[in-house]
Amino acid sequence: MNKPHLPTQPRARGKLEIEVSASPRGTRLARLHQAGAFRALFPHGAGMTAVMLNTSGGVTGGDRFSVTASAGEGAHLTLTTQAAERYYRAQPGETGRISTDLTVGRGARIDWLPQETILFDHASVHRRLSAELAPDATLVAVEPLVFGRAAMGERVHHLHFRDRIDVSRDGVPVFADRVAMDGDSVAHLAGRATGGGAGALAALIVVSPEADRWLAPLRQLMPEAGGVSLIRPGVLFARIAAPDGYALRKTLLPALNAVNVAVPRTWTL
Amino acid sequence: MPTTTDLLTLQQWLSPAYPLGSFAYSHGLETEIAEGRVTDAAALRNWLEGVLRHGAGRSDAILIRVAASGAAAEADAMARVLVPSAERLKETLDQGAAFQRTTAAIWGGEADALTFPVAFGAALARLCMPVSLGVALYLQAFASNLVSAAVRLVPLGQTEGQEVLAALSPLCDRIAGETEGAGLDDIGSAAFLADIASMRHEALDVRVFRT
Repeated sequence: MNKPHLPTQPRARGKLEIEVSASPRGTRLARLHQAGAFRALFPHGAGMTAVMLNTSGGVTGGDRFSVTASAGEGAHLTLTTQAAERYYRAQPGETGRISTDLTVGRGARIDWLPQETILFDHASVHRRLSAELAPDATLVAVEPLVFGRAAMGERVHHLHFRDRIDVSRDGVPVFADRVAMDGDSVAHLAGRATGGGAGALAALIVVSPEADRWLAPLRQLMPEAGGVSLIRPGVLFARIAAPDGYALRKTLLPALNAVNVAVPRTWTL
Repeated sequence: MPTTTDLLTLQQWLSPAYPLGSFAYSHGLETEIAEGRVTDAAALRNWLEGVLRHGAGRSDAILIRVAASGAAAEADAMARVLVPSAERLKETLDQGAAFQRTTAAIWGGEADALTFPVAFGAALARLCMPVSLGVALYLQAFASNLVSAAVRLVPLGQTEGQEVLAALSPLCDRIAGETEGAGLDDIGSAAFLADIASMRHEALDVRVFRT
């Protein structure tokens, strides 16, 4: 008897572990482990920047990707992506999982600057980002999200998306964000309190001893559908909604400059 | 079944006369009105629906339930880090502290500072109150307070405001039902523009409300 042939979605696995430490000649790579469909490139002349590359071309149901990065005392690590990440259509019942764990040591800094994540129709992804900071460490994390390729006329009418961010400083939780979107994201984002018709969103989190003095300059740079607040000392949070990815990037670039980010070259407009 | 005494106590806690100072907090609605995005009853209803279904309404419902199940400390820790802005933190801490003070003075119990939904949930547990009813009434009181803020700020009649509130009552009931059994991991929101409005409120030139 022939068994029915069930097409199974190929599952991609990817794992990146990056550790950097300070040296008299600047931050150096202390350890790198890469497995599966995740790779990191380290371009010369851009400080210590890890450009993450998903060789499977995107994320779909059942995929598992994880990044663990740590910056030792006084070190500075920038993480970005080579291109926009894509969350493709998933088979029913399958969910892709992406997790990121960052550890920032004393006087150290991590800039987490992935390019846009593009959500495709029928995408199903659970994503989490956790960061542990020493008391005087700095984290700048941005997560730009684009709902479908607007230029191609694509809309996201079916989505299952969970996004969670947790940041703690000196072992104490100082920030959390929980995003949950199910179903028709176009209808979802049409609401006045949700997206006002936006096609792109970004969250920007800055935890730093310098965060307090970055509030005023950031506020000046916010568009009408954007806001920033110093939630508690040393903890800044901004949300920005935009019609599309391009408009979002136009707001994000100056905002990143305002918090002393040297925006990676992969990020140009 | 909730007793009449339960219902009367819940009504008292959630009445505008209970001294929480809720009338001073607009949850960012003042920004939406000042910047011209909420100008009439239809827009107000749409905004409130979003906040209830995808924002603080649903999150608070879960925080109340978790606190009422005995995990007030965990719920409070989550509530404090989950706020998107300094004013939203102030809004929940100020009302929570006032609720704790008054409730402890009359019904006993601890008066330690808790965020508002957690203080409310802990009080439900302490007095063995019906939780689902408490959640539904809490959500209606939250919406009612914002409707009254809108009536003060836009040319919206009292009757129109009450029409909006009446239309939202089934939603309050539904969220209370949907969050039954939910835990902190089930919290998830998507009221991005409401968060943004609360952030922008800090920089409004003229402010009648504290948030």
